[in-house]
Amino acid sequence: MIDQTRLKILVDGAKYDVSCSSSGSARRNSADGVGNAAFGGICHSFTQDGRCISLLKILLSNDCAFDCKYCPNRRSADVPRAHAAPEEICELVMEFYRRNYIEGLFLSSAVYQNPDYTMELLLRTVRLLREEYRFNGYIHLKGIPHADEALTRAAARYADRMSYNLELPSEQSLKLLAPQKTKASVLTPMGVLQTGREEAAALWKARTGKTERKGRGKFLPAGQTTQMIVGASPETDGKILRLSESLYRKFSLKRVYFSSYVPVVKDPLLPTVSAGLLREHRLYQADWLMRFYGFDSAEIVGEGENLAVEYDPKCAWALKNMHLFPVEINRADVETLLRVPGIGAKGAYKIVSARRFAKLTFEDLQKMRIVLKRARHFITCDGKFYGADNEERVRTALAVAERLDGAKQLSFFDGDEGGLLRKSERQSISLSVLDGTKNFLLHSTPSIAKSALDGQF
Amino acid sequence: MNARTVYFTGGTEEGFFTAVFDGYNQPNAYLTSEKNLQLGLGENLIRVQPDMEKVARVERKIKGLDARAIGDVRLALRHRDEDREQVAFLYVRQLVKTGKSVRGMLSVEGVRRMMDLRGQVLNEVHRLKGFLRFSETNEGVLYAPCSPDHDDVDLLASHFVARLNAPFVIHDVWRRKALLYDGRECIVAAVGDAEIVESEREKYFSSLWKKYYQSVNIAERKNLTQQKNYMPVRYWQFLNELS
Ligand code: SF4
Repeated sequence: MIDQTRLKILVDGAKYDVSCSSSGSARRNSADGVGNAAFGGICHSFTQDGRCISLLKILLSNDCAFDCKYCPNRRSADVPRAHAAPEEICELVMEFYRRNYIEGLFLSSAVYQNPDYTMELLLRTVRLLREEYRFNGYIHLKGIPHADEALTRAAARYADRMSYNLELPSEQSLKLLAPQKTKASVLTPMGVLQTGREEAAALWKARTGKTERKGRGKFLPAGQTTQMIVGASPETDGKILRLSESLYRKFSLKRVYFSSYVPVVKDPLLPTVSAGLLREHRLYQADWLMRFYGFDSAEIVGEGENLAVEYDPKCAWALKNMHLFPVEINRADVETLLRVPGIGAKGAYKIVSARRFAKLTFEDLQKMRIVLKRARHFITCDGKFYGADNEERVRTALAVAERLDGAKQLSFFDGDEGGLLRKSERQSISLSVLDGTKNFLLHSTPSIAKSALDGQF
Repeated sequence: MNARTVYFTGGTEEGFFTAVFDGYNQPNAYLTSEKNLQLGLGENLIRVQPDMEKVARVERKIKGLDARAIGDVRLALRHRDEDREQVAFLYVRQLVKTGKSVRGMLSVEGVRRMMDLRGQVLNEVHRLKGFLRFSETNEGVLYAPCSPDHDDVDLLASHFVARLNAPFVIHDVWRRKALLYDGRECIVAAVGDAEIVESEREKYFSSLWKKYYQSVNIAERKNLTQQKNYMPVRYWQFLNELS
């Protein structure tokens, strides 16, 4: 049994990995097993920093052979080291799971001894958990760069999701701050896993004639994610978003996580200040626009630029494209409505379904709890305009709205108290109507988006 | 002034659908349950006894117009709002009047209220799936006390039966009822207070969980407002990591 001291060390080392999402898999329980996975993910608690706890996030070991500058577990750091045996991890998962503390496990490890040795240990743990302990809950496994391809593929048979973290958004920054890692050491296994997913899907299709159901695939049903640290190195938001976009395209990633840099380690090569949550928040908003609203990174921000601080990226885009507005709420198609600042997926859905019964007025929108403080400047309701009469005033109004919201974790699902989008509602706001080239961005559904917003970052 | 005719039921679904049948053609009908019954001057009071034939007729009518409406109504009836029966009744009327599904008719207040009730119940069910905490008793039974806003613990049955391969009890301490699962069958029963003896193992893992909860926090990023938004304080009393 693991004790409190080792638990603390192994959790401390794992907690800066921001992903805690348990979504994207619909794994079913077996007759003699324990657990299953909920497609939309479930949060079990929230920490004082406001993040969702969904998975038991823990390292097998924090004793690292690598020396990444920003990492508290790096070889040259003088910190207490600890290990957990695969059996200890399994027991902890089972006991936590049956008490309903968690949805499953997020397992990673420092590079203990060497990459292959570590990857073998990880593989042994997840295999044990599935085969001996009969656990069918969620497993997210963080892969080890430079490990043997066969080990990576074997581990993927047991996990719901895997991630290789890019950590830094460019090769130079990696060289400088994470000398043992290269872009290839992260992207190669991502490619291997993506190929594995495609092969499994093709096999299923050949055997059954049907497409794999979402979340039910045999090979990593919840796909892959990655993470980048923002603010430890000089890359702009424009660069980071372009990189994310290409990762979504190439590897069908489910999510790119951004982790704003927190200076836990002192090093002359590292900034001494946090990157701040606002920058991270803006990146997530922009990422959202790419994944759910059909935006290209190029529409959102120039390559050498950062995202605007005063407004969210959708407002910033709309201000640059005033000639496209206002749009008429009773006629605009869903894709157009989604591009209106302040109108989210849920709002667009409400509008589209309500206007089938009656022409909508501004008051109707208010009653439907569509938040209008931003949207009013970009829409007409039955021909009438309720916004500010010139661009300068719109700008001011948007900046004020933003300040009032205090840049809290804004919901793109404004006014969505009900919370749950039903399946058929998901379909009616699906964006598959967009031209083929953009479909790649839409691997997730709004309900997953919603769980992400509920704090599963 | 036309006095209301109040139809009150025992609070069951069957009572409600019977009352819909009885009150449908009465323009001033008001549906409620005996628990929330309030007497007004000059009102006609009618106690409704469930009548399965009427229930079947009303359900058939509703299903014919919108397959999902029955489920929506059933969910809304679990809401703690004292007007729930009336809200659901007016929704059924709107549905029959319109002659097809009205779920999307969100500019109409009655529809909005109904969908709000339904949504809030579903939302709580989703939350409970995360926020319930089981502790293991000496006999190996998993026990989770809770005090939900709405009458919804039985909606958790399929979720936990599918996951846990152990007998469990989900206890709504306020409504004094519980969902009981013995490993094969699930029932809802009226229960009083529960007396629980926790095993040593239970204490050990409960304390490990508390340690985990503290360790995973990033102190530099304290954000208590967000924590409370996502996890309203009323759920905290049953979360062992917070007590
Ligand atoms: S590989 Fe780098 S980031 Fe990972 S634990 Fe080792 S030092 Fe830290």
